[in-house]
Amino acid sequence: MNILIVEDARDQRLMLSVVLKKQGHKVLEAENGKEALAILQEHQEVRIIISDWMMPEMDGLELLKETRKSDLGRYIYFILLTGNTDHEAVVEGMNHGADDFLAKPVNFDELAARLKAGIRIIELEKQLEQQKQQLVQAIETVEKDLESAAKAQEVLLAQPATIQHVSFDWFFKPSKILGGDMFGYQAIDGETLSFYQLDVAGHGIPSALFSFTLNNILSESSGRGSIVKEKSDQEPFYKVRAPEKVLASLNKRFQVTPESMLYFTIAYGHINSRSGEVTVSQAGHPPPLWIRREKASVEPVAGGGVPIGMMPDMDYTSCTLQFQPGDRLFLYSDGVTECENTEGEQFGESRLLQCLMDTLNDDLKSVIDQVEKNVRDWSELDRFDDDVTYLLLEWKP
Amino acid sequence: MAFEHHDEGHYTVVKIDESRFDASIAEAFKTYVFDLIEEGKSEIVVDLAAVRFMDSSGLGALVAGLKKLSGNGSFSLASAQPAVKDLFDLTSMDKLFKLHDSVDEAVKGD
Repeated sequence: MNILIVEDARDQRLMLSVVLKKQGHKVLEAENGKEALAILQEHQEVRIIISDWMMPEMDGLELLKETRKSDLGRYIYFILLTGNTDHEAVVEGMNHGADDFLAKPVNFDELAARLKAGIRIIELEKQLEQQKQQLVQAIETVEKDLESAAKAQEVLLAQPATIQHVSFDWFFKPSKILGGDMFGYQAIDGETLSFYQLDVAGHGIPSALFSFTLNNILSESSGRGSIVKEKSDQEPFYKVRAPEKVLASLNKRFQVTPESMLYFTIAYGHINSRSGEVTVSQAGHPPPLWIRREKASVEPVAGGGVPIGMMPDMDYTSCTLQFQPGDRLFLYSDGVTECENTEGEQFGESRLLQCLMDTLNDDLKSVIDQVEKNVRDWSELDRFDDDVTYLLLEWKP
Repeated sequence: MAFEHHDEGHYTVVKIDESRFDASIAEAFKTYVFDLIEEGKSEIVVDLAAVRFMDSSGLGALVAGLKKLSGNGSFSLASAQPAVKDLFDLTSMDKLFKLHDSVDEAVKGD
């Protein structure tokens, strides 16, 4: 062990030094507190100080205070030498962080025993430090993994696009590295597009994994197992499955057990790119908002059902809207409206409606940016407490 | 203690003593209710009077309780504040749970 002896009396210092060296320790010496502090800074290996109390320049108590105050990056075990069994001195020393005391003249057997106790503490502290380092490394690994998973999640997201006269744009911001929100859109056949936005309960890894799975299932538009189509007797031997039926079959497939609480809310719909007919079905999701350009109005789409997975054999309904050219639909997760300001008030649906009214004549990208700005200004934080996702589509034949 | 319960007739009233029923207490609530159900309690009334905000995890915990009973008993809610009622409305959960205006009304019996 590396020990620093601080003692102004040269003969005493030398004697202690010789004895400790004999016991196999490495010893450094200082004549007073000031010198000792300099040595402590320079010699990182010093872990134990044995210091006299009364010294010129800086005494033992002052050295003790300075040692405890400064950030040395390691714990220093501090043994104070006292002139006699002075109880008040012991109390004062302990109050300032002394670990142990040794009465002068020093009994060398007692010194060896007290050093042993000190070394035990230092070894424990070293072990703790090592374990902390291992934990820090483990957390770094986990975070790196999460970040690559987040990149994988980003790749899953559909890019802003125009498909068959229907344009899509969106905003997606998980509250943690990974989120439980998801959305998507695609052409199912030559005139029907499907779109959805969903929110798995909770956030973090289990929710994100589940949202990955759902994205896979909902984007599978060909093949026998596809959930968005069903078999038919006539050419082309399939038909597009109605939104409420898609939700019912998702509900059949993903029932939560009492032990797992992974359920999700979703708004799922179709748009006929030729006729502008839109059909939307919801399961516990915030109602999508129909932005009507000509009428200059924004209307929540009625209807709703129980979140997917809550209860078996639930029926879902759908709502049909006749779009006029330029009409839009805004789908969003509750992270938008439940975003709280510093007073705990929620952003709410009415502010969202107002924002969409104000941006009636802006292009899709501007609307996306403006909603984000309003929600961010509301929360005044640079992060969100919940996943925030919204999807905007526009029909322009 | 975030939760407490007492018996009223053959009902067990579970009170949530927190203003936020969210992910931070959902798991603990689930465990609490599961323990009651495993002790044989089957007529459960959850008193939501103190809850100002509930999120999807809170809802999930209530459903977990409902599912745990698996039809052998009743699981109803009482004294929900407006914001909590809105959530039930939004998620159509009023189809799954009976919502009572007060605990008294909930334990009056069927």
